[in-house]
Amino acid sequence: MPTRAVAITGLGLVGAVGSSVAAWRAAAAGEKSGLKRLTLFESELAAEIPVGQYDGDLPADFAAARRPLTRREFKRMSRGDLLALVAAAQATGEAGLSQTALSQGGVYLGQSVCGTFSSERYYVESWRNAQNGVAQPRAGVNALYVHEPAQSVDVLAREFGLGGPCTSFMTACSSGANAIGRAALLIARGEAEVMLAGGADSLSRITLNGFHSLQLVSPDGPRPFDAQRTGMTVGEGAGMLVLESLEHAKARGAKIPALLSGYGHSCDAHHLTAPHPQGAGAFAAMKDALRSAELEPGDIGYINAHGTSTLDNDRTEALAIARLFGDAAVPVSSTMRFFGHTLAASGAMKAVLCVEALRQRKLWPNLGLRTALAEAQLDLVREIRQAPGLKHVLSNSFGFGGNNAALVFTRVDP
Amino acid sequence: MSARVTGLGVVSALGPDAAALLAGLRQGANACAVHEFKYLDGHTVRAPAYMAATPEAKGLIDPKKLRRMDRFCRMCAVAARQALATAGIDVARLDPARTGVVFGTAFGAMTTTQAFVDSWLKQGERHGSPLNFMNSVHGIVASQIALDLGVTGVNLTLSQRDLSFEAALVSALHALENGEADLLLVGGGDELTPLMHEFGARMRQVNLNPVTPGLDPFLPTHPTMPGDGAAVFVLEPDRGQRKAMARLEAAAIGRTAASAKTLARVAARANSGDLLVTTNRGGGRTAARLRDNADKTVDVVLGRARPKLTHRGAFGDFASAGALQFAANVLMLSGREVFAPMSRGRLRNELVAGLGPPQTILHDAAGISGSHACYLLTSEP
Repeated sequence: MPTRAVAITGLGLVGAVGSSVAAWRAAAAGEKSGLKRLTLFESELAAEIPVGQYDGDLPADFAAARRPLTRREFKRMSRGDLLALVAAAQATGEAGLSQTALSQGGVYLGQSVCGTFSSERYYVESWRNAQNGVAQPRAGVNALYVHEPAQSVDVLAREFGLGGPCTSFMTACSSGANAIGRAALLIARGEAEVMLAGGADSLSRITLNGFHSLQLVSPDGPRPFDAQRTGMTVGEGAGMLVLESLEHAKARGAKIPALLSGYGHSCDAHHLTAPHPQGAGAFAAMKDALRSAELEPGDIGYINAHGTSTLDNDRTEALAIARLFGDAAVPVSSTMRFFGHTLAASGAMKAVLCVEALRQRKLWPNLGLRTALAEAQLDLVREIRQAPGLKHVLSNSFGFGGNNAALVFTRVDP
Repeated sequence: MSARVTGLGVVSALGPDAAALLAGLRQGANACAVHEFKYLDGHTVRAPAYMAATPEAKGLIDPKKLRRMDRFCRMCAVAARQALATAGIDVARLDPARTGVVFGTAFGAMTTTQAFVDSWLKQGERHGSPLNFMNSVHGIVASQIALDLGVTGVNLTLSQRDLSFEAALVSALHALENGEADLLLVGGGDELTPLMHEFGARMRQVNLNPVTPGLDPFLPTHPTMPGDGAAVFVLEPDRGQRKAMARLEAAAIGRTAASAKTLARVAARANSGDLLVTTNRGGGRTAARLRDNADKTVDVVLGRARPKLTHRGAFGDFASAGALQFAANVLMLSGREVFAPMSRGRLRNELVAGLGPPQTILHDAAGISGSHACYLLTSEP
């Protein structure tokens, strides 16, 4: 990274396995997937495919982490806003930043469909009412207002009194990772001292039906890097990080579990949805991330892969990893079976898991793996593995349009 | 470090390219027309709007790729090709890994998103259209432009309501300053669809009077008149050899609460005190109130009251109209001329009386929901 080091001082996580980093640790230890039957909305697909749905009470989670929401506030928020708020409240709570510090900070949030769960309900009701000759939909204008991706950014900015750069990044499933990477660059170049960065996405009919239309959804749930994998599972969640310049974090005596030490980004320019057949873009993003971290492939102790469990992703990602790191040279796992693919939130949630891996010095299990794919030799982590010397980890996030991002995290010893 | 604007492409209500925009701004062409919008309940509304012209894509974009682009994507991809052409850039000679796309859009591909939802509403949830789904992704424009040009560098899409283009501009400038690319296509665009018009009408934000002659950005009691379009710019680092149309000295995005500080930081980059101020003043009571407050901040920061121009009366008021204002600003600097604003379909020459050709333009944009952005453009010496 250019110039200034970027410290991570707070983590927030909400997803199918629960609403805290501790819930994640418990799920990982018990190898317990959060996938379940869809109950959030009615769907013809509900009985056929599992989803990564969060079943908790988001307003209660936010109240526990920060403060109760008023009824009026709640009415004006989408599910995506609430997911982002809960994760951000956890992260800022852990970081223990003063309001003065927050007021000079900003937020970069990765999203793909954040408010769609609300706006599509308005649209579907309007459409059905029109079929039945009824003019007015029940959902009000609030459902429309929250449709815009920037709504979650505005909600976060207002809640935490942020005065700095605030915007949303929309690069499909790499959005969260790009938002974190761009926020880190902002701090590294001295444009900000503190940034909230992450990603959030809620389940919606559009994504569920969309990935189903592409025949990418598995009835059995994801089995990343398995030879018999049959596809992905759509999920929801949020991951948020508090990023600070290392000087700022040290000066206030913050606990610093890790640095965000590298960020790489590339575009396949190959196909709207399919990755480059040899994983050229994935390779370029990982290489770029290592270069910016000033590390060699041999320095990386663990890769938290994108690993969606689609046929194309896992094959091309495995090829790219093997090309850059060598055969079975670095432990790899995908945590998709715990949460499902949470789209724009995915990269941010994985970032949280990577920092937690460094903090716990553990490698997370690749749940669902039976027989490893044959196309490349990977050291796949089948169950939680102790990693006493773990120093640098890498996280991959790849999105539609061939949009690739990779992040490198480095442990800071207490 | 600054960046150089070396090319621009525009598809707007004033016409399908930058030449049409330039002619329209100079002559005061009224691009406002009455259009029909079919709402979800089946009834049709006739209302004034600034719908972008259909650009000629033939010869610019491979027909196979073109078939996979909807109207919105075509507008943006054509604008990108136009931008490269005006900069005199041979696409085949671009370094793919050092060329990127940074795009701002508030709503993305709305027509296709709606078509995708319609596909499963009509045929059942097992039968959604895969092509419509993949083309509904918010970042589709940046991906399609990269695919069209074969460029594999920085590829970002930003969304920040009515400051989406400005957000993209800030990120593009940072990416160049970080040395992440040698050339970036930075742009903004949004499309006006019947559904978007219905959203605006339900929020009581759009003018539904079909006899209104055109948007009056200076009259807060009038609801706004929406439009659509796209503009894309070639942005290169300062060290480049290509002739620049303008220089982007600084750009920043933040929150209204810190707008004075942000503005002061950006304005400090101006070499001359004699700068022209443009803003994102459009229509509507709420936006006008936000803009009035922002104008006061601009005057305080600059130390005196200055005239503030907006050209939304020429191309409409929509979420990423900031991209078209940026185009107007680049054209004013490169042509050493000042365009009078339009309101109600006529040029307001009295608002530019006494203003000479600008050498520096400070643009201030106050967004809804407390966002703020600004940038400083100067003419090439």
